[in-house]
Amino acid sequence: MTAHAASIHDVAAILAELRRAVDAAAAGADATPSIATLNLVAYVDDATHHDWVLERAARLIEKHPARFIVLDAAANDGGADVATETRGNDGATVVSQRVDLAVGDAPAAVVHSLVHDLCAANTPTVLWWASARMDGSTPLAALAGDVNALVVDSSGPGRGDHAVNDAVAFALANPRVILRDLAYMRLAPWQDMIAQFFDDPALFDDLFSITGLEVDAGSDAEALYLAGWLASRLSWRVRDGATFLDRANRAVAFVVARRGDPRRIQRVRLHSEGSTYTAAVSDDEAVVCLSIDGENAREPWCVPLQSVDIMSLVERATTVFGRDQIFDTTLPTVAGLRGMGAR
Amino acid sequence: MSPADGIATATRAAADGAAPANPLREGLESNRITDPCNIVFFGASGDLANRMLFPAMYNLRLGDIMPTSFGIIGFSRTPETDDSFRDNVHKSLDTFSRSGPPRDPLWSDFAKHLSYVTGDFDDPDCYRKLGKQLDANDEQFGTGGNRLYYLSTPPQVFPKIVAGLDAAGLGPRQQKKGWTRIIVEKPFGTDLDTARALQTEITKVFDEQHVYRIDHYLGKEPVQDIMALRFANIIFEPLWNRRYVDCVQITAAETVGVELRGGYYDHAGALRDMIQNHVMNLLALVAMEPPVSASADSIRDEKFKVLSALRPISADDVAKTTARGQYGPGVIAGKDVPGYRTEPDVDPNSNTETYAAVRFAIDNWRWADVPFYLRSGKRLARKNSEIAVRFRALPHRLFGEAGDAIEQNTLVMKIEPDEGVQLRFNAKVPGPKMHIRAVTMDFNYGSGFGVVSAPAYERLIGDAMRGDATLFTRWDAVERAWEVVMPILDTWLNTRATDFPNYAAGSQGPASSDALLAAEGREWRQI
Repeated sequence: MTAHAASIHDVAAILAELRRAVDAAAAGADATPSIATLNLVAYVDDATHHDWVLERAARLIEKHPARFIVLDAAANDGGADVATETRGNDGATVVSQRVDLAVGDAPAAVVHSLVHDLCAANTPTVLWWASARMDGSTPLAALAGDVNALVVDSSGPGRGDHAVNDAVAFALANPRVILRDLAYMRLAPWQDMIAQFFDDPALFDDLFSITGLEVDAGSDAEALYLAGWLASRLSWRVRDGATFLDRANRAVAFVVARRGDPRRIQRVRLHSEGSTYTAAVSDDEAVVCLSIDGENAREPWCVPLQSVDIMSLVERATTVFGRDQIFDTTLPTVAGLRGMGAR
Repeated sequence: MSPADGIATATRAAADGAAPANPLREGLESNRITDPCNIVFFGASGDLANRMLFPAMYNLRLGDIMPTSFGIIGFSRTPETDDSFRDNVHKSLDTFSRSGPPRDPLWSDFAKHLSYVTGDFDDPDCYRKLGKQLDANDEQFGTGGNRLYYLSTPPQVFPKIVAGLDAAGLGPRQQKKGWTRIIVEKPFGTDLDTARALQTEITKVFDEQHVYRIDHYLGKEPVQDIMALRFANIIFEPLWNRRYVDCVQITAAETVGVELRGGYYDHAGALRDMIQNHVMNLLALVAMEPPVSASADSIRDEKFKVLSALRPISADDVAKTTARGQYGPGVIAGKDVPGYRTEPDVDPNSNTETYAAVRFAIDNWRWADVPFYLRSGKRLARKNSEIAVRFRALPHRLFGEAGDAIEQNTLVMKIEPDEGVQLRFNAKVPGPKMHIRAVTMDFNYGSGFGVVSAPAYERLIGDAMRGDATLFTRWDAVERAWEVVMPILDTWLNTRATDFPNYAAGSQGPASSDALLAAEGREWRQI
């Protein structure tokens, strides 16, 4: 590993240092070294989580060779550090490159210029936005034109209720950029559990007579995304922040209750005209109990809650390309629920 | 796909008479088996059920792979109630489950799906009771009439069970709704005649497509990886033929003796117990042609072709192409262990082989003149199952004396206890001189993927529930394997081995096995 100090204002010096590392690797290798399959740009403005984010990003680029650019908005000395690592990997020479940029005081245009100039050409660029703020005080909007995908966590540490609004607003304003929200990705086990209720063909019709949806969760994003996902699958339209209209124009009440730890859903309940479907975390937090009461009553049953660790989520978010079309159809619904105009 | 598309698809499916598609499923990834079903374990009080099958079922549930609508019925002669059966299953999980003792609420939920039928395997009333329990489960758990029977009893009662199911209207041909499948544990017969007789009895009730003959070896991840290694990589296939392969060695070595199975084993022996099924299945996988698709029948067609191409071994050739052994006393892991003839329930003058080695030839274009050496034995130096493909020697000595240490390249597919792939090749020793030495490139499943392989029974039971027969043995392959080994079996039965015991426990096996390869200028890999 080598480190070279420069200034964020001296892009030429930073590029020269990156070039030098590649040339050095090429000189010691039989073939052209492999450098980057990805530009991973991480924006972090919170000193508390700075190391946490960078440690995970480092593990990621160890598996997926990348040019890793850290936009450190918690540091404002204008410094730039370049570090490279050359290693053999299955016979190939792989060069990992990392550029740490102290951009705390830098205007959005400068940050944009840095990212534009430093990203490897013809290589996808993923921006991991590890910040609680996505508003105009950040360079996010300026970077939108240069990134292919944006990774956010609307219910991550320090995020407020507005975080999901900001993420959705960004996605709707920048349709070219693929949004990956870890808050939505965490829902996969719950989506599967809710789908389980209706795998029995005898209950299929009830799916289209749902009159109410209740979600108890420790943060809003999960509840909103879950409602948005259901709405997208069942052709519900938003009437207001607490009501959908189903495809027969009947009202579906939507109630969110804040309960439990952030990022965790505690309970989902669906009401149909004759039955109530409940999935609730049991005393063992790794198990969810499902029950159906009313006309379609069934014996309750339990399923393991297959939680996915944050590292796997981040890896998936940053390395799986292509749109999740179901998520894309969820976004306007969430915007509607939040009164953001798109319904 | 838009939501409107999804709903339109569901509506179309309903109009076609098919079950409508659940629009909430679209885009969700799941390993879950979708068909609800009942699983009936015949022999539910037996060792296999307690050690392997119940833990497999629970862990399939724990991994959220089991369908959520399921029923498990134990059937055995041992008198039990539903509650005492649940207690026994709990104890089995306490001791043998890879996930540790079961925990509530998942255990309580799982236990609700367990029930038990006590009965003699030839008592028609018991099958009627079983039928009522299956109907009750369909009603209570929504299992839709789907039934999977698992025969984990001694093989002599298989025909009774099949006939009992048929007489009670529980076979597939009398079924009004859903599917019925049957898993048959090995051994499938004790020789060609008994295998054919068993097949006749089974096919009176079950068509071949409903029969899942289990060979747990095929459920091991490294065995499945044989196909991935061969057919998901471009670099091996060009070398996978007589032009480059010198020989193939397949080893299934154990350090254990017969333990509590002396009574069974003394009537079976290594050839029946291991070679005819596990080891010949490995041979078929490693030697088969690329299948036209990954479907069960495409793969099983190719495996059968390999077995069909095995050159018959006549009685006159048995001495030249096989070796047998029986272990005497010895030392394993620093402990004295007894010889086979003093093991419990073993005849003190037993002629049964605890070690078998066979040299097979495959008469086809790919493998002409390439010997396939198969060996399996108990009380050997190390537990080790592997397939080693040894490539031919170099055609020219480029490096003179520096190349004296050059070895033939060997690709080793390791099955147990290590799981992975090793490639042995030659490399220059660092330094000013040109010295060459063989080195090993090692892939290990555990470190490579960072996951622990699920036990074979979990995989195989799950596949049977899904209706995927790829890893189960089709009748034509079973029959062909018996045809091939029968001359050896007959010769060994009719000719007393005067040198038994002929290898010490903890050794590499009998000298006659080494001589088998030495006669062709080769030697076994170290166990």
